[in-house]
Amino acid sequence: MTLSIAGISAPRKDLHAKVTGQARFTADLKMPGMLYGRILRSPHPHANVLKVDTSLAMNLPGVFAVVTPFDVPQGRIAPDTGILDTRVRFVGDEVAAVAASDDGAALQALELIRVEYQVLPFVLDPAKALLPDAEAIHPGGNLATGEPLSVERGNIAQGFVEADFILEEEYNIPTHSAAPMEPRAALAYWEDGFLTIRKSTRGVHVDRQTMARALDIPLEQIRVVGSYLGGGFGNKDESRLGALAAVLAQRADKPVRIEYSREEEFVAGRVRHAARVKTRVGLKQDGRITAIHTTATLDTGAYLASGPGVARRTGQASLYLYQCPNVKYEALVAYTNRPVAGSYRALGAPQGHFALETLMDRATEAVGMDPLQFRLKNRVRPEGQIGPRVSPPTQIIDSQPVEGGIPFSSNGLEQCLLIGAEAFGWEQRAPNVTDVNPEYSYRPSNSDSPPIPTTDSPIKIGRGMSMMIYRGGPGSTSSAEIRVDSSGRVALSIGVIDVGEGATTVLAQIAAEVLGVALEDVNVNSADTLDTPNAPITAGSTATFSTGTAVVEAAAQVKEQLLALASTGMEAPINELECADGLVFVKADPSRNMPLKEVASLMTVESISSASTITPGSADYIVNSFGAHFVKVAVDTDTGMIRVLKYIAAQDSGRIINPRMALNQVEGAISQMLGFALWEELVSDPSTGVTVNASYLQHKAPTIQDYPDIRVIFADIVDPVGPLGAKGLGEVPCPGVAPAIANAVYDAVGIRLTELPMNPAKVLGALDLR
Amino acid sequence: MHPFQYIKPRSITEAIKLCSENPEQTRLIAGGTDILAEIKEGVVRPQRIVDLGGIVELRSIRESEEALAIGAMATIAEIAKHPGIRLRYAALAEAADGLGTPQIRNLGTLGGNLNQRPRCWYYRHPLTVCLKKGGNRCHALSGPSEYICVIGGDGCYSVHPSDIAVALVALDALIEIAGPVGTRILFIEQYFKGPDVDVTRENVLMPGEMVTRVYLQAPVDPAPLMNQHNSLYLKARERQSGDFALASVAASLTLGGDSIRHMPVVLGGVAPVPYRARRVEEYFRGRLLADVDPPHAASLALHGASAVGDNGYRVTVATNLVKRAIIQLLKNAARAA
Repeated sequence: MTLSIAGISAPRKDLHAKVTGQARFTADLKMPGMLYGRILRSPHPHANVLKVDTSLAMNLPGVFAVVTPFDVPQGRIAPDTGILDTRVRFVGDEVAAVAASDDGAALQALELIRVEYQVLPFVLDPAKALLPDAEAIHPGGNLATGEPLSVERGNIAQGFVEADFILEEEYNIPTHSAAPMEPRAALAYWEDGFLTIRKSTRGVHVDRQTMARALDIPLEQIRVVGSYLGGGFGNKDESRLGALAAVLAQRADKPVRIEYSREEEFVAGRVRHAARVKTRVGLKQDGRITAIHTTATLDTGAYLASGPGVARRTGQASLYLYQCPNVKYEALVAYTNRPVAGSYRALGAPQGHFALETLMDRATEAVGMDPLQFRLKNRVRPEGQIGPRVSPPTQIIDSQPVEGGIPFSSNGLEQCLLIGAEAFGWEQRAPNVTDVNPEYSYRPSNSDSPPIPTTDSPIKIGRGMSMMIYRGGPGSTSSAEIRVDSSGRVALSIGVIDVGEGATTVLAQIAAEVLGVALEDVNVNSADTLDTPNAPITAGSTATFSTGTAVVEAAAQVKEQLLALASTGMEAPINELECADGLVFVKADPSRNMPLKEVASLMTVESISSASTITPGSADYIVNSFGAHFVKVAVDTDTGMIRVLKYIAAQDSGRIINPRMALNQVEGAISQMLGFALWEELVSDPSTGVTVNASYLQHKAPTIQDYPDIRVIFADIVDPVGPLGAKGLGEVPCPGVAPAIANAVYDAVGIRLTELPMNPAKVLGALDLR
Repeated sequence: MHPFQYIKPRSITEAIKLCSENPEQTRLIAGGTDILAEIKEGVVRPQRIVDLGGIVELRSIRESEEALAIGAMATIAEIAKHPGIRLRYAALAEAADGLGTPQIRNLGTLGGNLNQRPRCWYYRHPLTVCLKKGGNRCHALSGPSEYICVIGGDGCYSVHPSDIAVALVALDALIEIAGPVGTRILFIEQYFKGPDVDVTRENVLMPGEMVTRVYLQAPVDPAPLMNQHNSLYLKARERQSGDFALASVAASLTLGGDSIRHMPVVLGGVAPVPYRARRVEEYFRGRLLADVDPPHAASLALHGASAVGDNGYRVTVATNLVKRAIIQLLKNAARAA
């Protein structure tokens, strides 16, 4: 099938609005009489709130409303999270909120709220939190999921018995903030008992359900609208923000907008789970893998948020990336008195891949194989893992299976390894040499002074690689509605929100492709619970695949109706007609045609439409995306600094609907994870629980000068299940970055870093021990 | 942000008067890149902000045969691109080049840079009352220690964050301070004082005083090429932009024939003040160029430093930077000869 619209780099639908500044983010919204909300946060890592005296604050001129744990609606944001609670569980936890006529008054009011705390013992380390005598952070104890996660395929004990040798290592991954440019914000207002919330979100329909539950009002009385997002990353789930804005707005009887400060976004947003991951692998002399056993302890912080999903995803590489009959994965998710960990681009996969893919690099060395050849030999095959299928034959296959016996819908892992290696020049790579004329120096980059010439350069060059597996896009039940009016204009209505990754553009391309209309003729309405169909959150790299599948189905149904109209108008049988580029034509004689707009004008009703609700996925295949990364680094042994010089990312995400935006996604993922690999870590002070580096200066996201030369190559395999052959992409490259860099560092200087971030302290520390 | 009174005087005299009225509650603002962040983050709460942006004479960079005078309100970007500075005071130009980000360099000023407060995570957090904020203990000692000072800590273990100060100390600059009782001029090295003198501040500025100018003597080296290459600044940092130094070094070489007449080596990012490595300086004094052993000289730089927690790697970084700096300056000298 050749495509004309899907597959081209159409400009994003929101391009004009964004580059001209017309795009309005939540913090840009203003309403007449709007109040400014601020949140009072706990200075203690763990305490009972005994009393909150708001009298002074309420008497401050300009203050209209205050909400405390003692007067808040008792509905739940999540099973372990109320709108406000008389127990605070981390430094920064919400205690109370105020709304005032200006931001200054709101801030001043916070200082006038008197809170009496009963300070409790606290625990910051997940392993310590799980000890029997640890202070319970929630009534059910600190094992946040209630019970440990444990999954197995084959017989792990037998697998290790069969092994010629066994490698084992423990990896430590710290807390990592998504650090979006736009701090969370929400604007809430009530009209005759009807609540409207405009907010930064990853799913308006899911947020509406949360609001209905938390505020105990019917779903029909709530409208949630998603604004443009300044950085989504799956991270902007409903914290307490929307509910607090709604309660304040109700009490003040005025619109209330709350916007997090930069520090609040770091501390009270959602972070990537810190994890300790222990991986053990059994190998035969010939390089075959007989067993992989991974155990992980994850720190979910004060509340569970997305903990179970993150824990599950941490193990998927161990379970499925390598062909192996005996695998086991176990995980514990612990509450601690630290900032809340939640969903953040690729969830637990980066933690799990870092452990597995650096340990496998050791394995390649142990069996005397090249890292590429080892992976080509051991990669999971298109036919899937060995072992019996357990799930019923008609059941849709989970995109993170444990069982064997199920093939992939498509599996481009081998292609990624081969095309990536070729683009990188992996086979031709020079032996490790010291660069006499380093590409990297400590001169200020804009200095015209020459680099420091030395004959015995302390700067060493190394090359490394990794591969990755990730869910391919099937998510929850998804919907789309398509309407064509008598002038031929197409309206696509979807409930998902474009979190900045470009879903609205890609879904419009899919609709235009199926309908055979021009992309400009497709208008997209999204992310508004008032007039879009129910939808899941934009997370898990699912929007293109899942909502896209619904779009394909709805578009095909509308196309049938249009061709039926044309059949009458053109006096040709419907099955001989086709539609492309805005023209309906007779397949055998394209000169017999009619512009679609003319066809539409034949309709006797106002418009024709179709709605589709689908459960995405397949009962016969696993839908997964893949990738292979190759990287060249310079390690300065004088200063411990790692500089990534060159990055090749080969990705299999099925057919690429919009190559330019897909490229942006991969480059963005690599850039974001470069910080995770090298410098970023959100740190809690051990003696107070205070988050001490909640800023861009201190939680060191890379700058434009730190980004390597990134080259992205798509395998561009047409997936037989995905909409127009597409699979998920946005998160897929994330897990490959840290292990590829760690492996290159080993190649350069012979140190195996097992702890992130790989900053100068860690590098010099390891070099010292070498 | 906490509310404050904002005043923009037109003269140094007026500014000093405004500062002297209630010095405890008054802060100067130059580029605002530090003080505004401090106010926004709740670290300080001045009642009055005196903006020096209206004082034209503080803005100028004047060059003569004997000296260069840089006004306290000259921006970092102006310093970085000034042809006279680039030609004769490479260490200063390079320190300015690699400082912060383009936005910071466009707004940040000489005076503001010299007087910026430490970047210690604990000093910067409103919930921690450290020694600098009148508290009774250094929280950094029991917390993450990768960025705390490796030498000169005395109760407080913050590091002086300035790049410019390090270069100026190595160039033996003079600093001019104006105050209620007149003007005084110091060697800039004497301007900075560590926690052993007063933990609540990093310099000798008295209430009501302000930095007005920095003077640099013209290099005396007869070889013209040496004027360009007799000093340098090297900075190790994690990010290539927008990051403070893990360690930095400024060095300035003055030759006398085949030997070294004077070569100060100053370290940044390692101590509560710009740290002048006297032992290295002594090692170089009068030494024949041919007799210099760079690794040995570098090993003297942080003599007496002791690791606290996890900060020991920065002794390595700093020592290696010193070695690189020495090798580079010797090469420049050889090329000039």
